[in-house]
Amino acid sequence: MAKEVSKVVKLQVRGGAANPSPPVGPALGAAGVNIMEFCKQFNARTQDKQGKVLPVAITVYKDKSFDFVIKTPPAAVQILEAVKIKKGSGEPHVKKVGTITWDQVRAIAEDKMPDLNAFTVESAMKMVAGTARSMGIKTKGDAPFN
Amino acid sequence: MSQVYIEYDFKISPLQPGTEILIAELGAAGFESFVENEDGVQAYIQKEEWREDILSDIFILESDEFEITYGQRDIAQVNWNSEWEKNFDPIVVSDQCAVRAPFHKEYNVPYEIVIEPKMSFGTGHHETTYMILKFLLETDLKDQTVLDMGCGTSVLAILASMRGATTIDAIDIDEWCVENSKENVARNNCSYINIALGDASTISEVTKYDTIIANINRNILLNDMHVYANAMKVNASLFLSGFYLEDLPLITECCNNLNLEFVENKEKNNWVAAHFIKKE
Repeated sequence: MAKEVSKVVKLQVRGGAANPSPPVGPALGAAGVNIMEFCKQFNARTQDKQGKVLPVAITVYKDKSFDFVIKTPPAAVQILEAVKIKKGSGEPHVKKVGTITWDQVRAIAEDKMPDLNAFTVESAMKMVAGTARSMGIKTKGDAPFN
Repeated sequence: MSQVYIEYDFKISPLQPGTEILIAELGAAGFESFVENEDGVQAYIQKEEWREDILSDIFILESDEFEITYGQRDIAQVNWNSEWEKNFDPIVVSDQCAVRAPFHKEYNVPYEIVIEPKMSFGTGHHETTYMILKFLLETDLKDQTVLDMGCGTSVLAILASMRGATTIDAIDIDEWCVENSKENVARNNCSYINIALGDASTISEVTKYDTIIANINRNILLNDMHVYANAMKVNASLFLSGFYLEDLPLITECCNNLNLEFVENKEKNNWVAAHFIKKE
């Protein structure tokens, strides 16, 4: 029989750097989970993504056991990395702060496909390009689709 | 022990892609971690890392595309793990060593260790701690000089002491672990254990060890291995853990380059503990 779920906690934590302080501590501790066990596992599993902000969904069960799924960094984080800037624009439609190529948009879209509500790479690319636009980042050239 | 975190609670409309962009910008500004919720996001940073104008670089706050409001508060570090700690099961290793809390009944085994972890790592429940305890039970430590790097609760240093080691250094980078180690060492009457706060640079350049134990993680082990190798006598043992089986080749390669020869490893649920010996 499937174990009964107590709660699902959605956090974003830096790879290799989970520690028992807020928000990990209070979010898991109150549910009776052994926080130290989560930190050790999360850090061991993310050694190749040290320091990157990673979304993690932790399912806590009624018996205080848990499991978790680590996702790739959010599209906006990947956009900043691709464009090599640290922040977007305060006036995204007037003041552009960077340019992203459609190849870069495609790479991010393909990476984030499983997490986006998109059925095709094209629709995922439109979502990523939309996020970039809201950050004041232009896409370079014509879209490779209609 | 005065660690304080600052929590910012942001309400965002529209939620997407606002939340995502905000997290990306806050992450680049140095915020450590985030919780997504129904109407926005909570962001956390250590007070020591925080500065007055930390939000001045967060451009989405000025964007007319999103409406964002926020509040901020301090959160003092407390023992968030207390719920689990008040009711865990004791651990027995190889019928010889028991690790239990003060509230458990006594065990009739040669090595009985009493630990109150207070949010430090090392209760024997984790595979890595369990396997190193096992290694220490199989190793002759009589009159040895031992280093426990990343000691957590100091459970490994305490077993080394009970197994006859006479000089033991236990080091951890976390203040909570140092405080907790002092309590556990006193609780188990281990007078030969010296506890220090710090990273690998804290390791003495004078003392040479017979045995070094490090249950940390792959990247830190790879980064600090040369320091360990340098602090070992010829034929000294190095016990490493805190990584998965797929990372063992990397660890072994790093050790080989430092004249540390692989002896054997244990494996439990894909976690590894490995034994190396320093060659001439």
